[in-house]
Amino acid sequence: MINLLAVLFKKEVMDASRDKRSIMAGLYYAIGAPIGICLLVSVLLQQLSSPEPLNINIENANQAPGLIAHLNSHDIFASADENKRKAITLSISEDYQLKMSEGRPATVTLIADKSDDKLRAHINQVEKAVSLYSSEIASLRLVSRGIDPSLMRAIALEVHDQATPDSKGGMILGIVVFTLILALFYAAMNLAIDTSAGERERNSLSLLLSHPLHSLHIVLAKVGAITAFSMLGLVVILFVSKLSYAMVPWQQMGFSITITPEFMLFSIAICLPLALMSASLQVFVSFMANSFKEAQSYVTMVLFIPMALSMVTTYDIATDIVQWLPIAAQQFALMEFIKGNAIPLPQLMLSTLLTLVLCFVFSFLSGRMLKSEKVVFGL
Amino acid sequence: MIEVINLNKKIGNVNALNGLSFTAQNGKITGLLGPNGAGKTTCLRTVFGLLKADSGNAEIDGIDVANEPMAAKQKLGLFPDPCGLYERLTPREYINFFAQLSGLNATEARQATVDVINKLAMNDIADRRCQGFSQGQRMKTALAQAVVHNPSNIILDEPTRGLDVMSTRILRELLLLLKAQGHCVLFSSHVMQEVAALCDHVVIMANGQVIAQGSVAELCEQAKKETLEEAFVALIGSDEGIAA
Repeated sequence: MINLLAVLFKKEVMDASRDKRSIMAGLYYAIGAPIGICLLVSVLLQQLSSPEPLNINIENANQAPGLIAHLNSHDIFASADENKRKAITLSISEDYQLKMSEGRPATVTLIADKSDDKLRAHINQVEKAVSLYSSEIASLRLVSRGIDPSLMRAIALEVHDQATPDSKGGMILGIVVFTLILALFYAAMNLAIDTSAGERERNSLSLLLSHPLHSLHIVLAKVGAITAFSMLGLVVILFVSKLSYAMVPWQQMGFSITITPEFMLFSIAICLPLALMSASLQVFVSFMANSFKEAQSYVTMVLFIPMALSMVTTYDIATDIVQWLPIAAQQFALMEFIKGNAIPLPQLMLSTLLTLVLCFVFSFLSGRMLKSEKVVFGL
Repeated sequence: MIEVINLNKKIGNVNALNGLSFTAQNGKITGLLGPNGAGKTTCLRTVFGLLKADSGNAEIDGIDVANEPMAAKQKLGLFPDPCGLYERLTPREYINFFAQLSGLNATEARQATVDVINKLAMNDIADRRCQGFSQGQRMKTALAQAVVHNPSNIILDEPTRGLDVMSTRILRELLLLLKAQGHCVLFSSHVMQEVAALCDHVVIMANGQVIAQGSVAELCEQAKKETLEEAFVALIGSDEGIAA
């Protein structure tokens, strides 16, 4: 039996390894995802570290030199060039100076389209700067009348941020681990469909089944071969991640993501059962579909489940029960490993066991399906 | 020996096989002749265990296919329609793979592959990938796969389709050689000349039933016609689906 499995596995790997397009389609993701994240983070960092000056239209600027100086110190400038400035107008009323000198509210009108998503942050920036100036002037007025301006503050809210530098990067870390898990599914998706729905469509499946072997052997060999390519995808994404994340200036964000050799080995060990499960799931779904095209749609739809499980862990909205489930538990363990925290062993062990049981169930069901003439001939 | 006993099989609302019974003897070439949709492929698929008969049974060397599929399949070589090639493998890899699946060990399989490639004169294509092969090259590869493990029974579904003259002659010689070696050869076809030239025993079927069977001479006599083609038309009562 082992010998037969080896023959089948060898053929599957040989056949798949010559399907260059499918392999490359899987590897594009493994190579592209970490590089994409690096570029994204780098752009984000650049914006955070050197905010661009905001140019707006200010009418009657000469009425309020104090306000203008305050705005300038907050990177907001008046610009006459319509092409360079944002569509925000700050109109200072004609009687601004008079009202100011009388100690009454001076009107400054902010004209902008608040439904414009791109402008919203800039509008907030202007509003904040103006209200800060307003409260500064108000405080000065109170002081000049002999009143302690702190009377205006009933509550002093103090925030103690308990985040450690590493835990601060939780979200980005979650996304990084998410890309690793997704690589397991994506790297072999095309191969999985090709070796099951494709094999049936090319009529070689019925020939294979006419030979003296069990349908479960055929399925196990396919699952094995797909798993091998999934793991190849994982190794590639780990190496690309190691190289590319090393180039991101993480220290500016107060945390760092370093892919160590220990983490790489840990990921490979933890993801192997996931790759087996992913392969058996994709084969099962592909055999359920009537055609290659149908299989592509179904597999893509089914991939939403692991994505959702991984996502709830990434965004930390997982309930306690979800943390025991396959994929979610593995993702959590990988995140804790990178953060240097203790690994949640009970969850990890149970979910690994569940993952392997699922792999067996999907393989068994696929094997049973191959005994059905309806499935084999699409009757 | 292949024995089909009272096979019934319904696919959807169609009675594809309707009490089909015949025997293909060792050392003889048996032709399964019938118009399109007669149930030839369904019959052959049932014999090699891919379809399950609603009632009746198929036996290979006395082994019931439905009860002992593994043992029965080991005694079969199969040339299917369509061929079922792996486009990204070379014929050598393809034949070697199926030889191992049929029970040969790695060394035996390698040697058997070399032998069958020589026998079918396909050395020129043996190490090219099957992608882009002509119909004839595909047929040869599939044929080599069917006989590589020297099975006692060989089933061929429409083996002459798309073959050129040279390939047809090679196929004919191969089938005659297999017959001389005492193998049981069962093939389906609707090419009258092939059947008339090769078969010792012809089973004419239509609508999932055997209409008549016997040697070519017996069938001609039964229908009182000169040629097998005329006898065939007379026996099934229509000229539908004949490609001669």
